[in-house]
Amino acid sequence: MRRMREGLTRLLGEIAEGTRIAVFALLGARLRTSLTTLGIVIGVMTVIAIVAIIQGLDVAFEAQIANLGAHTVHVSKFAWLVRGRGAWWEMRNRKDLGRRELEVVEREASLATAVSPQVRTRAALTAAGHQLEGVLVIGTNDRYLDTNGGAVASGRFLAGTDADLSRPTAVLGFTVAERLFPGIPGETTLHRKVRIGARPYTVIGTMARRGKLLGFDLDNMVLIPYTTFQRDLGARRSLDIAVAAAPGSLEALQDQLVSILRRVRQVPPEKKDDFALNRQEQFLRMYGQLTGALYAVALGVGLITLVVGGIGIMNIMLVSVTERTREIGVRRALGARRRTILLQFLIESSLVAALGGAIGTALGLSVAQLIALLTPLAAAVKPSAVVLGLGFSAGAGLLFGSWPAWRAAQLDPVEALRYE
Amino acid sequence: MGDPLIVVEELHRHYQVGGELVRALDGVSFEVARGEFVAVVGQSGSGKSTLMNLVGCLDTPTAGVYRLNGSEVAGLSDDALADLRNREIGFVFQTFQLLPRATALQNVELPLIYRGIPRRERRARAEAALHAVGLANRMTHRPNELSGGQRQRVAVARALVGEPSLLLADEPTGNLDSATGEEIIRLFGELHARGHTLMLVTHEPRLAARCPRALRLSDGQLVADGPGLEIAAAGTVRA
Repeated sequence: MRRMREGLTRLLGEIAEGTRIAVFALLGARLRTSLTTLGIVIGVMTVIAIVAIIQGLDVAFEAQIANLGAHTVHVSKFAWLVRGRGAWWEMRNRKDLGRRELEVVEREASLATAVSPQVRTRAALTAAGHQLEGVLVIGTNDRYLDTNGGAVASGRFLAGTDADLSRPTAVLGFTVAERLFPGIPGETTLHRKVRIGARPYTVIGTMARRGKLLGFDLDNMVLIPYTTFQRDLGARRSLDIAVAAAPGSLEALQDQLVSILRRVRQVPPEKKDDFALNRQEQFLRMYGQLTGALYAVALGVGLITLVVGGIGIMNIMLVSVTERTREIGVRRALGARRRTILLQFLIESSLVAALGGAIGTALGLSVAQLIALLTPLAAAVKPSAVVLGLGFSAGAGLLFGSWPAWRAAQLDPVEALRYE
Repeated sequence: MGDPLIVVEELHRHYQVGGELVRALDGVSFEVARGEFVAVVGQSGSGKSTLMNLVGCLDTPTAGVYRLNGSEVAGLSDDALADLRNREIGFVFQTFQLLPRATALQNVELPLIYRGIPRRERRARAEAALHAVGLANRMTHRPNELSGGQRQRVAVARALVGEPSLLLADEPTGNLDSATGEEIIRLFGELHARGHTLMLVTHEPRLAARCPRALRLSDGQLVADGPGLEIAAAGTVRA
C-alpha cells in the first residue's frame, strides 16, 4: 500500500516536472517550436476546415431534404439520377406523362395520402415596376403542401377550384414577394397583380421562408394552378406526379404506382417501365457517397500531413535529446529511471503536437467560417471533430516522439554525463 | 558505526577500446567507514573517474565486489541502480550540472520527485537543504542568476536533500576560483563534522591534503592509502 502510494506520487511528480520542463523547453526555443508545429498545424487545419464544410453541408442538406417530404414518390418521365447518355436518350423518347396518368393515379392509388401534379419552368415576373428574371414557376394543385412541404405565410394556398377553373392566381415564394413588393407587409401584397411572361395573375398568398440548398434559393419561386400553367406557358411538357404515402407504406405505394402506370401507359410485360419513380432518398444516397469520398480525401490529406508533421517532430526531438544529453545524465545520476526519461520526452513531443493541433483546429474553424461567409457553403463543426483533431495530433506526437524518447532513455548515464 | 559503508574488493573495470583491452580499474580493494572524509587522487587516466562511476552506482564492475551500505551492487537491474543512487548517493559535479530552466528550489527538489515524496514535504525539505548551505534568500533564482560558488552550493543542497549515506564529489572546485573553491571545501568540512560520509575525487594535491584520508590511484591500481597530508605530499614530491 505504502509502496503503491509512493509509486503514484512519484509518477505524478514526474509528469508534473516533465510537463514543466517541456513547457520551458518549448518556450525557450519559440522559433524552433513554431516551425516544428507548422506541419501539424497545416494538417489539422486542412482536415478541420474540410470536415467543418462537410458537416455544414450535412446539416443544411438534411434539413432541406427533409423539407422536400420523406414520404413522397415523384413519378416522372426522367429519373433524377441518370447514368450514361444512352439511358438519357431512352428517357427522352418516352411518352410524356399527362392528365390521364394524373387522374388514374388520383383515383386508384389507394395508399396515397396526397397527389399533386407539377410542371416547372423559369420565367420573368413583373409587378409595380419591378422585374425579376429567371423565377421558378411551378404549376401544381391544392395538394402541393402535402407532397412537397412548406407553409403559407399570408393569404391562402391554391384551392382545388383554382386548378379546376384554370384561374390566373399565384402564390409567391418568400424571396419573390420581398423583391417584387419591397417593404410591403405580406397581407397588403394580396390581390395585387403580377405578370408571368405576358399574362396578369392575382396574388392570393405568400409562402413562408424555406432558405437555401447548396446555394439555390428555394424561395425564388411562384406557384400557380397547373391547368393555368399549361394554358399560358405551354402544355407540351411532361407532368411530374408527386404522391405522398402514409408513413411506413412507401414501398407498397411504389408497387401500386408501378402497376397502375404500366397499365395506363400500356407497357407490354416484357418491356421495362417507361417512367421513373424518384425519391429524395436517392439524393441522400448520392450525397452520402459524395461526402463519403470527401471524408476519405480529408482523412488521406490529414494522415499524410500528420506523418510529415510527425517526422518534423521526430527530427526536432532527436535534436532536443542530443542537446540535453548531459541533463539526461544528471537526471539519471539523481535517480531517474529509464522510464522517467522516456516519459519526459514523450510529454514534450505530444505537447508540441497537441499545441500544433490546437492552433490547427482554431485556424481550421476560422477558415471554415470564412468560407461560409464568402460562399454559399455552410460550416458547422461537431465537438467530436475537434476532439478527433487534437487526439490525432497528440497521438502523432506520441508515435513520432517515441523513438527519440526511447533513445534518450537508453543513454548510458556515464556517457551522458561526460557528453560535451 | 558497525559495518563499513563502502566495501570494495578486487574491483575490476575493463573496456574494449578498438581491439584493445583497457584495464581502467585493475583489482582495487578498500573500505570506507561511515563518517569518513576520503579523497581519491591520481593523474588523469589513473582510473579515479572509473572508480567514482562505480562507487556512484552509475556503472557496474567487470569483476569484483562492491557493497554499499550493506547491499551488493553488482548484478542489480538498471532501475534498481537508479533507485540506489537516489537513496544512497548525493552527487556534486565539477560543472555543477544544474538544470538551467529550473529555480534553485526546483533543482533541489528533483531527487525527491524521483523518490515519490509528496509535493508539500518535498518543498519543505528542499527549503531546509538550501537553508543549510546558506542560500535561503536565493531559492527562486535560476542558475544563470547565481555565482559559481552559489551554484555549487545549490548542487550540494541537491546532493544532501535526500539524506544519502554518501556524498560523492567529482572535482567540485575545478570550475571555481580559489576563494570560492575554499568556501566549498570548508562547507565539506562542516558536513564532515556533522557526520556525513564524503568522497572527493580530485587531481589537486592541495585539496587532498585537507582530507583526513586519501587514496591514490595509478594505472588502475591503488598505490597508496593514508592520511591526506602524507598522500598529497608524496604526490607532490613525485611530480
